[in-house]
Amino acid sequence: MREARTPLGGVRVGTVVSFAAAALLMVYLSYAIPLLLPGDFVTSMYAGSQVTLTAEQEAELRAYYTRDSGFFAYLGRWVSLDWGYSYAFLTPVSDLFLEALPWTLLLMGTAHILSMAGGFLAGVEAAWRSGGRAERGMVGGMTFLEGVPEISTGVILLFVFALQLNWFPAVGAETAYAGVSGLSRFVNVLHHLALPLATLTLAYLPGNFLLARNSMILVLRASYVETARAKGLPPRRVRYAHAARNALLPLVTRFGLRLAFMVTGALVIERIYSYPGLGTLLFNAIQARDLPVIQAVVLASSVLVLGAILALECLYRVIDPRIAHAH
Amino acid sequence: MHIDRAQVIRDPWFAVGLGIAVGFGLVSLLGPALAPYDPWSMAFSPISQPTGEHWLGVNDGGQDIFSELLYAIRNTAAFGLLSGLASLFLGIALGLTSGWYGGVVDAVIMRVADVLLAVPAIMILILTAALFRPEPWVLALILSALMWPTVGKTLRAQTLSLKGSLHVRAAAQMGGGGGYILRRHLLPEMFPLYLIGFAAKARMAMFMEASLAFLGLFDPSRKSLGMMINYALQFYYLDVWWNWLLPPVLCLSLLIMGVTFLAVGLEKVLDPRLRADTGGRTWA
Repeated sequence: MREARTPLGGVRVGTVVSFAAAALLMVYLSYAIPLLLPGDFVTSMYAGSQVTLTAEQEAELRAYYTRDSGFFAYLGRWVSLDWGYSYAFLTPVSDLFLEALPWTLLLMGTAHILSMAGGFLAGVEAAWRSGGRAERGMVGGMTFLEGVPEISTGVILLFVFALQLNWFPAVGAETAYAGVSGLSRFVNVLHHLALPLATLTLAYLPGNFLLARNSMILVLRASYVETARAKGLPPRRVRYAHAARNALLPLVTRFGLRLAFMVTGALVIERIYSYPGLGTLLFNAIQARDLPVIQAVVLASSVLVLGAILALECLYRVIDPRIAHAH
Repeated sequence: MHIDRAQVIRDPWFAVGLGIAVGFGLVSLLGPALAPYDPWSMAFSPISQPTGEHWLGVNDGGQDIFSELLYAIRNTAAFGLLSGLASLFLGIALGLTSGWYGGVVDAVIMRVADVLLAVPAIMILILTAALFRPEPWVLALILSALMWPTVGKTLRAQTLSLKGSLHVRAAAQMGGGGGYILRRHLLPEMFPLYLIGFAAKARMAMFMEASLAFLGLFDPSRKSLGMMINYALQFYYLDVWWNWLLPPVLCLSLLIMGVTFLAVGLEKVLDPRLRADTGGRTWA
């Protein structure tokens, strides 16, 4: 425990610096990788077209496109949301991105909150009943669930609940052109959200549960829990007010470590349910070879993930005051 | 680090995981021999239901689905193995070096690890795959360059605690050099951790491969479970669920379950003191 904490929450400046480095690395990669492509933009754009360029025109075009291709110019344009135009939609990439972002945030945010809360409560209760039949059953079920990838859960839920039972819509985030507003729109959005949300929650739940249970079991061995019990406090108070607070800590640190990986599942799920978030935008862009959109979605979502992990680092400090006072 | 072999083998999770892994291992090795048809042959009537000749029917391109499935399992499993092994090697090399030598080396390696942990690997893979269309093994190696840090950090922590142990101090006392002690004492001692690390990384890699293939980032003629799901899903309104969509979904789940259970089974019998050290989970 002590070992794991030092590089994570120990040095605040160091953490911020390494995150800034990670963000810069991503921006640099997205700038440098396209430059490594064989040939250049002009050749690849005009190679297959009917237009034949004279040498003079070609040189002019090349000069135009390499005008400000320095890394800092790129960075500047990127920060000011000037991400270029989509080849396929002919609209600014930033518009497409900002349109899709809220849906992804809604889906992923809710899924994380639900699976975190559910996994934590179930993990604490399971650890309290450690050794019993209920605990073994829960651990077994969750371990099994951990083996099922999001793609499979998504396809199966889609088949059963959307296509066979018809309980939930199979496509989209709300009914198109329904013209509803207020409460009925809210219900409509929730109705569309249900299946993708259930899939992601099921995917994230086992990790949270097993982690909460394992750390709770370690916490329950501590002598202050013994003291709390000896004082004759009601079991629920011992469990939550004394023990569970400390079992929450590894859950938050590990969340940051896993978030970068968990993005993958969300991309896939959005595509399965045609949910109009970043995953679907990215999928369509890949199909259409719409490079500016691919580049922007990849880059912006990486930076968002980095930001989220950094925010968690700060949260970690709040819920574990020992860290803040240690330095 | 002691691990009780009999206890590992008795563990039901490990046994089930091993069974699944061996099964898929055989299917992957024998795949081309077992396949009744050439999976790229488009000679059959498109979208037909299973018959005695085509056990799982024929897809929209007129290809035999069962043969496709066998090749797909092979590709997904190979990707997972390669990427898992490569990240294990990187993790061992960098984790041991970092823990043993400490100082600047340690600081640099661990900072790099922190940066890599925060970068979503899928994004870098998508960018590379979309722009260069590289061979799958290149993507597998890029992925392992991105996901070694969890293995590396666990091994570093373990190296630090072994560094002060009696036999390592004795070896150093008798004049053993750093390289010698790393190879002869530290490397073999952490063997159980390698197995867990490998299973966890192979699991992650197979999941990534399926996702990338599902998003259409591999060569379309390369058979893969994710790609089969993607194509089949486009015909969801037809009667393709049982014969076309479900088989790759089940195989992918079983494949990932197999490696997950192996990791879980190994982890359960691991030295409890180590578990306490790592907050109960040695892999993320």
